Amino acid sequence: MKVKLQTKSGLFDFDVRADETVLAAGLRQGITLPYECATGTCGTCRGRVMEGDARMAWPDAPGAARLKTERGDCLLCQTYVSSDAVVRVPSDTVHRNGDARPLPDHGRGELTGIRRLTDDVMHFGLVLEHPVRFDAGQFVTMRVPGIAGARAYSMVNYDGETDRMDFVVKRKPGGKFCDWLFEDAAPGAEIGFFGPLGAATFHPEEQRDILCIAGGSGIAGIMSILDHATEIDHFAGHRGDVFFGVRTLADCFYLDELSDFAARSGENLRITVALSHEDAGRDRHPDFPLIRLDTGFVHDAAARAMEGRYGNPLGYVAGPPPMVDAAIRLLISQGKVPTSDIRYDKFG
Amino acid sequence: MSWRRICDAGSVAENQLKKFEVDGIPVIVANYGEGFRAFPPICPHMEEPLAESGLIEGKVLTCTKHLWQWDLRTKEMAGSETERPMHFYDVKEEDGAIHAYIEEEHVYDFDEEDEMDDDDFFNQ
Repeated sequence: MKVKLQTKSGLFDFDVRADETVLAAGLRQGITLPYECATGTCGTCRGRVMEGDARMAWPDAPGAARLKTERGDCLLCQTYVSSDAVVRVPSDTVHRNGDARPLPDHGRGELTGIRRLTDDVMHFGLVLEHPVRFDAGQFVTMRVPGIAGARAYSMVNYDGETDRMDFVVKRKPGGKFCDWLFEDAAPGAEIGFFGPLGAATFHPEEQRDILCIAGGSGIAGIMSILDHATEIDHFAGHRGDVFFGVRTLADCFYLDELSDFAARSGENLRITVALSHEDAGRDRHPDFPLIRLDTGFVHDAAARAMEGRYGNPLGYVAGPPPMVDAAIRLLISQGKVPTSDIRYDKFG
Repeated sequence: MSWRRICDAGSVAENQLKKFEVDGIPVIVANYGEGFRAFPPICPHMEEPLAESGLIEGKVLTCTKHLWQWDLRTKEMAGSETERPMHFYDVKEEDGAIHAYIEEEHVYDFDEEDEMDDDDFFNQ
């Protein structure tokens, strides 16, 4: 089937399959449709179906709350068509001809390496049917047979072109995907994904210091950035400051990996774990002396450590919404970081 | 009488913003250091409550949710993300108090405005 897309910058035609969203169809064919979360929560990928048969898989998605559905408005990330269609998007759109960024596509992988990191945090990998390329900091949306909807997870690893992607999940009450992963998932289970997506990415050619503030499983994309940056020795010439917030020392994870990044990167990479619900009692991790410790919320730890030494960094922020908000305030007010240098996924 | 007394000038510190209600109309007073501004309490982007999401730094108001910005000196849009202007009520400082000229509550046309109208798509 065909979608005729009307945008403020012109007309585009692209193919769409019955089993993919209009958003996925456009993005994989190089059309820069607007999106942020790609899973129904943010409302960025607003469009209007002018002609054709279309349905929204999740009509009550939080991002759909302000849509004029009686006029055909939809979220492209939830919209499937069953005929040729004409769709409008109220923004500028272009066709990415030959740009170097990885193009998203549908893929499949087999579940592997499921490993519990703490009481409520799980690591898992996907061995991919076909290798993919992604930028450090990107995410994919995932589907599991029998569970409705898609979830977005950031890759933890970075490897240029790779046949493996790693992820981390924090269990939330009532989360069906989490429940499945923590209780029923078995190695070899097949998972479908779409990606890579997201623009909170690291590009070494920008030649910038980086400042990362993450809470809980928000560390995922930061791990990928550190993986890439460490691999190419980025911290030989640039500073990296990483603040990772968890509740208690027992809730920390990825300490082996973080410690390894610190060991390979030297003085220019400083990694601090902030404990919000426990007194750290010391300034270094008892088992990982390269990891600094602080007590309090992660943005407060960042404020203490960064006072007077911001320089001109790119800021990367990921985590629970209140933490993301506090970190962005810190970067703007204390750090004087221009908003164009703050990178985060606007999932809310 | 559309000049309405909102608050004491001293009740909003520099680089702070505070929500008030005057005659049933919610209004935010922002102190950007060189003066005051008054505007409706929601972001014209996605109706974020600016009393919580608003931040003033360097004379610029940022809605921290999606980084839309407005220059409080010029009232113009600022930054790279902003797509809609902020509505500002006229303000004056008199007898140590902030007054705003509010005929009626300004409500953004989230529902009326239709950016998907034909005009926007076929004059290219």
